[in-house]
This record gives sequence, C-alpha cells and structure tokens, in this order.
Amino acid sequence: MNDATNGKDRVTIYVGDVHAAAHPTEVRTLLGSCIAVCLFDPKQCIGGMNHFLLPEGSHAADEDPTRFGVYAIDDLIGKLMMLGADRRRMVAKVFGGAHVLGMRESDDGVPQRNVKFARGFLQDEGFKILAEDVGGYQPRIVVFSTCDGKARVKRLARSGMVERVARQHLSVPAEPPKFGDVTLF
Amino acid sequence: MNSRILIVDDSTTVRRMVNMTLTSAGYEVWEASNGAEAIESLEHQIPDLVITDVNMPEMDGLTFVRTARGNPRIPKIPILVLTTVNDPSFKEQGRLAGATGWLCKPFQPTKLCDAVRVVLARRTS
Repeated sequence: MNDATNGKDRVTIYVGDVHAAAHPTEVRTLLGSCIAVCLFDPKQCIGGMNHFLLPEGSHAADEDPTRFGVYAIDDLIGKLMMLGADRRRMVAKVFGGAHVLGMRESDDGVPQRNVKFARGFLQDEGFKILAEDVGGYQPRIVVFSTCDGKARVKRLARSGMVERVARQHLSVPAEPPKFGDVTLF
Repeated sequence: MNSRILIVDDSTTVRRMVNMTLTSAGYEVWEASNGAEAIESLEHQIPDLVITDVNMPEMDGLTFVRTARGNPRIPKIPILVLTTVNDPSFKEQGRLAGATGWLCKPFQPTKLCDAVRVVLARRTS
C-alpha cells in the first residue's frame, strides 16, 4: 500500500516485502513473531525496512525468498546501495519476535530464532544496532522514517490483533519476488 | 583437481552462503570483500572462475570486471556477476565490461551450481 501525506510517502509492507527509499517515506508494518530490520545511511538520508517470517528457507523454486531473513536483509542492503547508500555508514534497528499465535517461549522457538538471526546477521555484516524492541507477547506496529532513521513502535493489545497477524502471515505480497534469473552472455 | 573459484562480495553472509554452496559442490573457494581486493588476489593466484557482486565499497563489481579485463597480468577467466541488481541496462553494462554472465539474487544454490558448471565446461571445451 502506498499513499502520500504532507509530502511524505507512506508505505505499508507485509511479510516478504522489502522497501527502500531515498525520499522521505514512512514505512510501516505489523509484526508478530516476524522481524523487521530497518537500515539507514545517516549521511545520504536513505533508509528502508524489510519484514521476514523466518531466518532461512528451503530454497524451493516456488518459495518467496524475501520471506526469509537471509535474503530479506541482503535484498534491503542491495536496494539501499542502489539508491546511493554506503553500507559502511549504515546503522540498524530491529523489531518484532513476539510470542503470538500461542507460541511458548523456548530457545528454539520461532521468535527467539528470528531475533538471534537478525542480531547475528547484522553483527557479522558490521552494522551497529542503534535500537531494538524485540520479544514479549504483544504484536507491534512499527513506523520507520527513511529520511531521519527514527522509528516509532506501538505495542498492541492482543485480542483481535493476533488474528490480524495470522491473516497477514498467510497473505501474499502484491508482487511476490522470486529467485533471481540467470543470464549467460 | 577441483576447479577453483574466487568469490567477491562485501557481505560476509553472502560470501559464506556462496562459499558453502560451492564447497559442497566440490569446488575450491577463496574470497575477497571488494573489487580492489579481488584484483590484488588475482595478481597472485588465478582461479578458474570469479563470482562478483556489483554494489561494493572501494571498487564496485563492474569496475572490477573492466579492471581485470584491462590488466595484461590477469588471464581472461570467466567472471559471473551475482547481484540484487536486475536492471537490463546494468546487465548490458556488465556484458560490455566483459562479464561472462549475470545471476540475480536471491540465488538458488542449484541454479548457481548449474551456471558455474556450464561456464567451466565452456572454458574447457
């Protein structure tokens, strides 16, 4: 979903979406156990957000790769660099990983694996995590401003929102990304 | 002897994924984190194939391909570009720079191995 208010674009992203912008944009998403990683280049004022379901997938041809963190973060980095961001300046914020949909807390549960993966990936890539709001039992709405890197988080009362999160997890992005093409010259 | 492949990518995670994929397929692999590092590496050790990203600090992938092709000390080995960039004009720039092929991320391990096999077979035929 994409609309504009007060000269600032507003974009809502769903599971598997990745959005990067070089112009002022508010990117928002609703998270349960999923993770949203936000990356921002403070010099170029270029930022973006993704929304992934699980750390890694099975590489099946019909899977939407950016539903998985390993591709969703790499895709976000690539999109930001295409817009002129420098990865050496990028800083990160991480949100999500809540225990919703009846999930219990355990070290190998989806929320913990997601949080651990996001932190590990960003650390391996050398991105400083400036802020995070992860875990807990409540879904979150995250709004990230691409022009200044600020993020707002609203934790939601569980009733009603859990069903919304569940529906979202089953939804298909408007333009599902696929694994990349191969061209030999 | 196993074919040897140089992976050039500024992302530790992508390098690890590509490395694991190719090592599992039996290739000998080493890494560089940008184009400048790759050029330095190629002046000392020549692989059978290079796989490079496009967007990298220090020296980007297309500049790396042009530099490698213009360096008389570096043989004309195949160079595959592996990138999130899917713009046809960039692909054309890659072809003109001397790249052997263009693979878009996210990559499927089997497709990457297939492309590597085809390109290496072309080289030996």
